[in-house]
Amino acid sequence: MATGQASTKPPDANEYGGDEISALVLDPGYSTVRAGFAGEDVPKSVVPSYYGVIPTDSGNKILFGDNSIHTPLPRISIRNVMSKEGTVEDWDTAANLWEYAITSRLTNAKPGPLAYNGLNDTENDDVKMEGVEEQEKPLRDNPILMTETGWNAGKDRERGIEIAMESWGSPAYWLARNGVLTSFAAGKSSALVVDLGASSISITPVHDGLILKKGVARSPLAGNFISQQIRLMFSQSQPPIPLTPHYLVASKTPVDAGTPSQATLRTFAPNTEPDHSFRLFQEERVLTEFKESVVAVWPGPGRLSGHAQSGGTNMDIARQHPGKPFEMPDGWNQMFGAQDRYRPIEALFDPKMALSDADNPQPSASQTVGALIQSSLSQVDVDIRPALLAAVVVTGGSSLYQGFTDRLNQELNLIYPGVRVRINASGNAVERKFGSWIGGSILASLGTFHQMWISKKEYDEQGPGIIEKRCK
Amino acid sequence: MPPFKDEHVLIISPGSQTTLAQLGLPESFTPARLRIPTRMFPAEKRGEWEPIKVRERRTTKATSRDALHGHSGGDVVMGEANGINGDGQNVDGDQEDEILYEEDPTNEEGAVYPLRDGRVADWSCFFALLTHIYNTLSPPFHTPILVISQPTWTSQDHETLTQFFFEKFKTPAFCLMDSALAACYAFATSTATVVDVGFGKCDVSTITDFAINDPGRAVGLLNCGGEAMTQRLLELLGGKGFTRDMCEQLKKNPICEVLPQGAELPVEVEAGNPAAAASTGVIGSGDGQRGSITAQGAVPRGPGPNTQAGDADEEREFKDGEDDEGVLDVATIVASGKTSEFLARKEREKAERAAARKKDAADAAAASKERALPNSKRTKAVFHFHERRPLEDLNSNGKRATDGESGQDGAETKRQKTPEPGVQNEAQAAEIAAAVRKEERKEERRRNKEGTAFIRKTVEVGPERLQAASGGILDRIADAVHRSVLAVPEVNKRSDLWDSLIIVGNGSKVKGFKEALLATLTARYLISPSSATIFSSELPSNFTTPVATGANTPQPQHHASHHGPGVNPLLLAATTASNANLAPPGQSQPQLHQQLQQQQYYQQQQQHHQHSSHAQTPTSIKVLKMPDYFPEWKDIGTEEAGFLGAQVAAKVVFVVDQGLSKGFMSRTEYNEMGPQGIHESCL
Repeated sequence: MATGQASTKPPDANEYGGDEISALVLDPGYSTVRAGFAGEDVPKSVVPSYYGVIPTDSGNKILFGDNSIHTPLPRISIRNVMSKEGTVEDWDTAANLWEYAITSRLTNAKPGPLAYNGLNDTENDDVKMEGVEEQEKPLRDNPILMTETGWNAGKDRERGIEIAMESWGSPAYWLARNGVLTSFAAGKSSALVVDLGASSISITPVHDGLILKKGVARSPLAGNFISQQIRLMFSQSQPPIPLTPHYLVASKTPVDAGTPSQATLRTFAPNTEPDHSFRLFQEERVLTEFKESVVAVWPGPGRLSGHAQSGGTNMDIARQHPGKPFEMPDGWNQMFGAQDRYRPIEALFDPKMALSDADNPQPSASQTVGALIQSSLSQVDVDIRPALLAAVVVTGGSSLYQGFTDRLNQELNLIYPGVRVRINASGNAVERKFGSWIGGSILASLGTFHQMWISKKEYDEQGPGIIEKRCK
Repeated sequence: MPPFKDEHVLIISPGSQTTLAQLGLPESFTPARLRIPTRMFPAEKRGEWEPIKVRERRTTKATSRDALHGHSGGDVVMGEANGINGDGQNVDGDQEDEILYEEDPTNEEGAVYPLRDGRVADWSCFFALLTHIYNTLSPPFHTPILVISQPTWTSQDHETLTQFFFEKFKTPAFCLMDSALAACYAFATSTATVVDVGFGKCDVSTITDFAINDPGRAVGLLNCGGEAMTQRLLELLGGKGFTRDMCEQLKKNPICEVLPQGAELPVEVEAGNPAAAASTGVIGSGDGQRGSITAQGAVPRGPGPNTQAGDADEEREFKDGEDDEGVLDVATIVASGKTSEFLARKEREKAERAAARKKDAADAAAASKERALPNSKRTKAVFHFHERRPLEDLNSNGKRATDGESGQDGAETKRQKTPEPGVQNEAQAAEIAAAVRKEERKEERRRNKEGTAFIRKTVEVGPERLQAASGGILDRIADAVHRSVLAVPEVNKRSDLWDSLIIVGNGSKVKGFKEALLATLTARYLISPSSATIFSSELPSNFTTPVATGANTPQPQHHASHHGPGVNPLLLAATTASNANLAPPGQSQPQLHQQLQQQQYYQQQQQHHQHSSHAQTPTSIKVLKMPDYFPEWKDIGTEEAGFLGAQVAAKVVFVVDQGLSKGFMSRTEYNEMGPQGIHESCL
């Protein structure tokens, strides 16, 4: 098979620029897109996957990047290029967003024609190169490694290479599963990757650097779900807790805990108010702060709804734990008791504890972390299960809650008594947040990986279908 | 490789408006010696650039002493063009219809600014500028170069620059240093939130342990720099005959101030001028503000403010008229035979004048009363500015076209003179430079007499001058600071970042800007000590909640609180005061209170005087003070502190450790790795 040979034979140096390449790694997620050069330890460019849309007479104006989407511009609305499944929904905008992520911080079109850029000071100027001035493609010199989720399938897998080759002019491309990359970042070739992102939790069994596709399991009980739980907690408390984002507050005055805020709110002239989606997006920033400073995982033993050995419920014990104060942007503040701190995230382990209303039904028992791991392991070969359990890699921004890994360890020990379970979670928040990007950075900078790249030449010969053959 | 010496180090700090550079590290680090505008003028040949505007002029008779003689085509090259200006070359006056090329250092027409919003918009122009700076300073061959890089530059920009410096100047060592990091070096801190307010944009960077946090870094916030403030002033004053240039000068004038958020604008109270009072209106704080001001702009004002009081010539004429007043042609009056009539009229006039004078005195008294107020409380202020006279007027009179006001612009451009080649000795060079400067000053004085390109004018400005930052710029920067700090993944570092704010960049030079930014941050984001913590947290649950009777409320004793008055003083005392000062004056509920105090005391011991158990930030926001090791920087302000940091870094990187810590890229490394190697060894 010709293609099989191609992957083992090193391509010619001029096909991808030889050893001196500056490969890019692009890791799109639901909440942010991570981009950076291979070989670096942190992505230089982290851009939200959310983008702003301003309706104008001549079509929609689209805004990318943190600098522009947080300003309450008239009638701005916020959208996301990703679907709730964690896969790309709006490819055209996504391509522009990714290009923005790359060109804003990493690379841009080459400086003007060599004749005039001062790099070559030549005396004769008779060669006028008018044609060279046309816009060069942004990634002419950069091979690009992109990541995809474990459940990405079909035509969606081919869109990436089309964008990279056709619109960016990239010389080489590779598509990798983010679960595999996370296990590389943790220094393991076989691992059970537990990824808690914004839109979904996913379990990816990786064996010898290859994804075990059957074993991939996921559920939506991730960051956005926890935010929704906090919103429900706020609205169901007595009296309801107001959630006012920063941009609406003109000035605030300190008030006593629990008393209504005395802030002056900003008002917008009619027809210039930002869209409701903008408000939700800004509220999310407050919720993120709340998650970081208040929410914690019930440390056990047992579940929050369970009974303690000493008698009484765990809820009673939780009430004696110290609370944490939180102040809203409008000055409203309250001490959140331990039961409130543990509650929003408990549903990840115990669906009965989830708050629910008409729009947010209770999650099913099969969606919890424990159940997902169980169903994932049940799909893989029985021989490798112990090895996977001995290398559980935890990653993703939503795994950073205080006490999460300890609780997961407890849960797994309950499910698999007698099996050695080892949780591998970096203590460094950066490594945890950008796990799959870091894995991609490692992979793309390996000398032995160079022969893996799909070069432009191969793409031209075989078309986007080459992805299915090469990037398994 | 021989070691680098202090006097050979070249530092360049490119900015969108002004580029700073210096050759040599002095004993005590000084502000940059060379300040030149970041702009070049396209030369006749495409792709070549001139540092100073060269104008083409057709004359029938070359009368100008300084006009350049018949430079045709593209042979007006940079270095040469520099040296010729002001040398007093005489041109033969008998040529007819000749094209003359003359330099015009005050003209900005057609200038290309290679950096726009921090990004390199025109590489060819940027390279020409760097070459011009290099040639101006003419460093010896063994010169290491440190360039302060803008946060907006991409990795590829870094490579392009590296390539340029190594291949064009054959530098033995090159270092790129991030501007935010440079500010940290200047402030001698390893952790800081750096707010760099530039010309067109603002950058907010968080730095922990000398490492820049790239994710979440707010780079190149558009419309948040000095230019945004000028534009805002133009928007407010444009209807009153202000030009952009006037607004720019107004912004730099001390009468232009940025008031902290919520501060009320001064309101005219003179009862005698109802029109003015109505036009100023009652300006509410907060949101209504913006609306009422735009409304205010539409209302016609009295003749008082915003009437231009003419230029110097007019004033002189006026004075002359006054002098003439007393002189009468007695003979004519007597001859006409109407002496008594004339005298009566004269008397009447005198009385009128006296009355007028009285009124003037009253006005003056009111004015002086207002003058006693600080600028921010006055409704209007006198604004002196310079207007550029069209050059053609001057030239046609045969006068020298130059900046009469001389001030900085003149000095700046003058200093770019290329030192005579062959001058190696530093002392000698300095001597020559001093002599040249003396000469220049003389020349300027002479030109001032001859005629000027600028006219000094005076105009009154209303409260608009206090609203330069009212276009939302403070809100946007504050939001970026909040966002950047909250994007730092290590939650425990955030508190430190809030406590070490650094505000640099010439955009922040506007009076009151830094204070207003700090006030905005404090007002919007500061977390007050929660009253919930004191009664319920970390106390055993069998404690009854004490009822606040007020009788036992201890007063905070020796700390000034920066929190608003709305916070319970007991709470402040408990959460922020150092221990032991809590003894209540009365002991009506001794037992309970003692227990409570012990508990609080214990908590304070554990928490090192921070608000109890807040994981949320910020509980305090502070601006860092620049250490005053370097006397030269004391009066100059901290806006260009980055340049000081760059000198500190250059000293460490090039001279002290000579490359041991890989602080720069050497020529050998460049030859091995190419431009990409810069990423491994730049600060």
